[in-house]
Amino acid sequence: MSDPDQQLLGHVRAAIRGNRPDTSRSDALYPAYVAVIAAGAYGIPAAQQLFRSLDGKWLAEHALTPAGAIVAGVAAALLLALVRFVGRVHGPVVPPLPYLELVVTSPLPRKVTLGRNWRLSLVGSVFGGLLVGAVSGAGLAIAHAARPVLLLPATLGGGLIGLLVAEQWLRGQLRASSLEFQPGPALPRGRRNALALLDISSLRRQAASNVTIGGAVLAGDLRTVRLDAARPTTHARRVRLRYSGPRAVIARRDVLGLRRAPGAALYGLGCAAAGSAGLMLSLQSPRTPTVAPLVSLVLAYLGFGAWCEGLRLHADNSGTSRMLGLPYRDTAWAHLVVPASAWVLTGIVVDAGLSLARLVPPAAFVWTVGIGALLAGSHLMASFRGMAPAGVFGPNAGMPALIFWYARPLLATLVVGTAMTAWAARIPVPWVAFSWLLLFAAGVVGWGLALVGKRGKRS
Amino acid sequence: MLGRRAAAVPVAQEPATYVLRATGVAKKIDEAVLLLPTDVELGTAECVVLRGPNGSGKTTLLRILAGTMPPSQGEATLNGSPVDERQVTTRTTIAALIGAPATYRDLTLVDHLVLIDSTWGHLGEHADEHSDEMLELLEIDHLAERFPHELSSGQQQLFHLAMVLLRPSSILVLDEPEQRLDTDKRDLLTQILLDRKADGSSMVIACHDPAMTEKLADTIVDIQPA
Repeated sequence: MSDPDQQLLGHVRAAIRGNRPDTSRSDALYPAYVAVIAAGAYGIPAAQQLFRSLDGKWLAEHALTPAGAIVAGVAAALLLALVRFVGRVHGPVVPPLPYLELVVTSPLPRKVTLGRNWRLSLVGSVFGGLLVGAVSGAGLAIAHAARPVLLLPATLGGGLIGLLVAEQWLRGQLRASSLEFQPGPALPRGRRNALALLDISSLRRQAASNVTIGGAVLAGDLRTVRLDAARPTTHARRVRLRYSGPRAVIARRDVLGLRRAPGAALYGLGCAAAGSAGLMLSLQSPRTPTVAPLVSLVLAYLGFGAWCEGLRLHADNSGTSRMLGLPYRDTAWAHLVVPASAWVLTGIVVDAGLSLARLVPPAAFVWTVGIGALLAGSHLMASFRGMAPAGVFGPNAGMPALIFWYARPLLATLVVGTAMTAWAARIPVPWVAFSWLLLFAAGVVGWGLALVGKRGKRS
Repeated sequence: MLGRRAAAVPVAQEPATYVLRATGVAKKIDEAVLLLPTDVELGTAECVVLRGPNGSGKTTLLRILAGTMPPSQGEATLNGSPVDERQVTTRTTIAALIGAPATYRDLTLVDHLVLIDSTWGHLGEHADEHSDEMLELLEIDHLAERFPHELSSGQQQLFHLAMVLLRPSSILVLDEPEQRLDTDKRDLLTQILLDRKADGSSMVIACHDPAMTEKLADTIVDIQPA
């Protein structure tokens, strides 16, 4: 990087600013300042409450064992794989559109024009990692789940994870660029020249997408976020949907949709299998920490949700000219057939495996049927939640209210599912808990159907 | 009353039994007037073309006629009963294309048509062939295995028309169906609609194309801007 290039970029930035002072440093530091305050005020108390509620003794016994290290390693690897995937859609180097059009397209080297964006993401990621590590370490120490000396390695470990996250994030973005537009022989390849290898089309698309997604998040329009982030379908175009009865064809449509999105189908299968296994195992001992059914339910929710794309697309289509001959509510019901069947089948297979290994009795499968009803209801709620109500943008509401509104389906699943599973593990007759689970699940399904009815009136 | 009534210019004099009627329908939301009181009468195998500048309320009137929006004033009836899209009789009689219809991003064009046909259940096992024929009729059969996001804007419009034409209906309600179509495709669409009319279908169309209007219209309704 040559000095004249930096000087030229300095002039360009000054021209963009006009007569205003350069506030880029304070603009970058302010979020860090807010993050530190939030971590101290909310993060550490929340972390210690979480670790206290999770049976600190059990955590202390298992955290520093080889099994604990393997779990931590797998979790870190999954996080890095996820970040790399995210980088393909939204990378760490995405300047604002006007800067992209006017400056990045100039003959100035991209290493110079994009350098600041990359450094900002890198420093932000490392700083975020340090903060998360420090908060987790402090929470563990205060909850007496670990010794205070753990604070230092936890902080440093968090920083290291942050560094790896930034690196994988950039590699994901680079991969997206290379897939679409192979660099010619004049461009040196490799990680060292990553910024030079980012092509303008993918940068422009990501910048435009950032604007769309940013606006949609602020407006609570998470449907736009999902559709913008989704990759267009191109698989199995020669496989045709065949005629069936009015309801059966909706289920066939969903099967075809999953066949055309094999990644989502497999992701759903993995999460659903892990979730149902976790739930069945959680029932086997009253000493199982509450976190086990909680995490299992998160996995189950994600797995079931991955199979619900047809349901979400049906909800997305409300308000448009109606073409299908089936009533709106019946179509929503029909879209639940595939995810519910896949969940039950997964539960049967997982139950068979665990029963053969003598880890659970065969009847444990019944519990996943009840949880399946709960998941169906919560995904009806999630798919048909629509736009955020105006109230969450009021002066007394703000982002926490928006997050709560968005997370209601997941919260309903976690609260009902965790409480009922933990209760069933602690009482001699789990059928009582199962009856209550079905009752609560019916309530959640009813809530979901009410939202379907509301959206159906608009279409 | 919100204002003066729009003028209906009869083009054809044939007597007919009216099946869809709007009498003095108007739409007002708070202080915003979307449509002035308007009369429309549509008989069997007739075509009413709505004309008027942008913002005059053509789409609003079409929504009222399709039973997806209640009028603030006046009444829209289908064979004497209020038009309401929630009623099965309305849905089986009226097929509307007002704005882009619902599509699934993971289904190809032909899959959409099979899906629509299956949910209406009127062609049974012939749905596959009928879907192919519909794409062929609109000269987009070579796009059968494309996904909606892989189409140009004109191809999208033809696909949307294929979806609405495939649905069983006796009345078509179309909002500017000529949009984004080239001259040849407009001629093709005109011929398809004339054939539908000859087969006994009725239609209400908002249209800005004078040639299409001349060929299709039995009655022209000029909508006055609010």
